[in-house]
Amino acid sequence: MERYDIAIIGTGPAGVSAALTAKNRNKSILLLGSRQMSEKVAKAHEIRNYPGLPFVKGEDLAAAFRDQLDRMEIPVMESRIGAVYAMGDYFALQAGEEMLEAKTVILATGVVMAKTLPGEEELLGRGVSYCATCDAPLYRGRRAAVIGYSPREEAEAAFLAGVCSKVTYFPMYAENTDLPETVEVIREKPEGILKAETGLRVKTAAGEYPADGVFVLREAVAPGQLVPGLETDGPHVKVNRRMETNLPGVFACGDLVGTPYQYVKAAGEGNIAAISAAAYIDKKAKE
Amino acid sequence: MVKKVNTQEFQNEAMKAPVAVADFSATWCGPCRMLAPVLEEISEKYEGKVAFYAVDVDESPELAMQYRVNSVPCLVLLKNGEFVDQSIGFRPAPQLTAWIDGNL
Repeated sequence: MERYDIAIIGTGPAGVSAALTAKNRNKSILLLGSRQMSEKVAKAHEIRNYPGLPFVKGEDLAAAFRDQLDRMEIPVMESRIGAVYAMGDYFALQAGEEMLEAKTVILATGVVMAKTLPGEEELLGRGVSYCATCDAPLYRGRRAAVIGYSPREEAEAAFLAGVCSKVTYFPMYAENTDLPETVEVIREKPEGILKAETGLRVKTAAGEYPADGVFVLREAVAPGQLVPGLETDGPHVKVNRRMETNLPGVFACGDLVGTPYQYVKAAGEGNIAAISAAAYIDKKAKE
Repeated sequence: MVKKVNTQEFQNEAMKAPVAVADFSATWCGPCRMLAPVLEEISEKYEGKVAFYAVDVDESPELAMQYRVNSVPCLVLLKNGEFVDQSIGFRPAPQLTAWIDGNL
């Protein structure tokens, strides 16, 4: 398997800028994201402070990013990265069933403002799980509750129904659910997860629901969850001026590292992150 | 070296070691597969000081129950058979060694 010099996660201004700079430094790049670039950029009405592109429409800026990547011969791989593991001298990126490898990683995913539920983080790994297909066998014959933030998560609840004695599903969306009959659907908003005598309880305004395992399934993955061991500060990743995180070889840039959430600031940080990653690789090669 | 053990061997060896780290994992768990080589490397550093074991939660569900393993991978640190601490999920090597050192 090819081990890339730099894996860049995200195709907004930070990720694209990092990719262009890394290419200039003759590094092999794995750019992970979307050919549509960034939804946030594409939806921007008009950007007035991006130097060289006066009054550019968001969709035109996204198209310009795509064109520049094409001309620099940088392909975009449209894979969703589930986790990044620090293996010592390289990083393993889980893309579905596939594992990709890179010497360094630049995180440019944008910021996710998902608030966790009270009790969720404290009980993570102690009954709370983010992956039904991963931890389901530990709850064989026991009770599971699923808090699903999109209809896509219903598949995981259906999977649990085949393993657990009882599954309670809390849809966090308005659409009708399509689940096996054995799954109990509760249309109440969870307010927190509590520890009970045995197992846990999901608390809503109307009552409490016991479960041995509570699966909280969101579309967006928090950065500390994406990269185990990564130091974060709320929704942001902690970095220094060189865009270095606490994990050697992992860099972060753009909205992910904090305000101001400006396109031009993100692009500048992407540039720094790529230069830092290239310097890290060159230093490692000399060792 | 990380030694794979069944329940019996765990009781005979890990429970009697001055310091033991047991990796509770499962064949179907992605992060467990990534943690295993990291732990293997760490175990070399602690040779003669800390004994490392791997427990398959499907083969030894009673051990997983006993140590309240609700998520895998889960590292359990024992001193003379007594539970001291646990570490949940994948963690990079420097953080794992800091965790072990902090419990020695």
